[in-house]
Amino acid sequence: MTVADTCVHPYPAGDSSLRRMTFEARELGFDTIVVPDGTPLISSGVRVIPAALIAEESVRAVSGQIKKRENGLSLVMVNAGENGFNRAVLSLKGVHVLRNLHLTRKQSFNHICARLAADRGVAVDLDLYPVIHATGRTRQRVLVRFGELIRIYSRYRFPLTLSSNARSVLDLRSVEEITLLCSLFGMEEDDVQAALSTVGDLLNPPGPVRVVA
Amino acid sequence: MKPLPPTLRTKKRYILAGIEPSGAGADQKDLYYAITNAVTTLFGDVRAAAISPAVISSGPDYVIVRCTRGGEQDLRIALSTVTVSGDVRIVLRPRATAGTLHALRRRLPQERPAEPDQPQEVHFGGRLYDARRYQGQKVDVIEKGIKRQELLFLTQDDLEEL
Repeated sequence: MTVADTCVHPYPAGDSSLRRMTFEARELGFDTIVVPDGTPLISSGVRVIPAALIAEESVRAVSGQIKKRENGLSLVMVNAGENGFNRAVLSLKGVHVLRNLHLTRKQSFNHICARLAADRGVAVDLDLYPVIHATGRTRQRVLVRFGELIRIYSRYRFPLTLSSNARSVLDLRSVEEITLLCSLFGMEEDDVQAALSTVGDLLNPPGPVRVVA
Repeated sequence: MKPLPPTLRTKKRYILAGIEPSGAGADQKDLYYAITNAVTTLFGDVRAAAISPAVISSGPDYVIVRCTRGGEQDLRIALSTVTVSGDVRIVLRPRATAGTLHALRRRLPQERPAEPDQPQEVHFGGRLYDARRYQGQKVDVIEKGIKRQELLFLTQDDLEEL
């Protein structure tokens, strides 16, 4: 079963080399990490999956970026926006993950988006960086937002992913620590395990059995 | 003064956490402030008072923290949110929880971590760094200079590729 951190930023975006990141990730219990604009490889026994991070404000621009950057090997991750934008993005072919929902307004991801995400197998990413590093009102807002998402998730069961958004090996957290941190916003241990293993299914979605010969 | 009988004493739990990067030079007092601050900002004063975190002992790569029984899970969560001790960037990785210090000290690594070798000068990305090699593949490099020295976490292979 895949245990993946869905977004880490090695050198030069961060202060740790990719090899050191994979080295530490393996010690912390991961077997897969997702790296924006990386190349697919296996280092220290950890699989590196490249990702295309798309941060556009219009659906047309997102669609253009997907066409340009989708190669079947990369995870396509799109930054969330308003409700209409999110619904349109969830309907686009080739999108794997909708991320940064904690930076959007409360109604940006409602039950319609949840149903759409569940039907199309698009994952919603929960970024643990602000839970670890932010304090005060900022962290409170993130915890409330994640709590709301978990409530919707428990009803519609769309795929979830968890990311540390680590820019340093010091930002990485172990699977056990992530499970404890997720309990802060009401995520059960089984759901955490499922979220950590989602990435493996996103690139190779399970389909019906086909007769090939 | 007659000591309280054991049944009336507050039950404690002890948590062993690793400090990374090893030998970062985190002061015990700074660790205490960092941990209590993390507990308070995450759970508030009331819960922090109930947890009552206290640093019992620390070494270059570990810290033992005490709390009241029932508060160990919250304390472990709070330890995960510690990112700075004093001016030093660190991460605390909870390793074990025990009901007595004696039990926890048995969980301490018997061998001291290998001290990093003498710093060596290396060039990386066109800049000059002091490299400290640890046991295994890990190499931490710190930029040479007098202010805003950049700290990078690399491996031996990264340096050999240059």
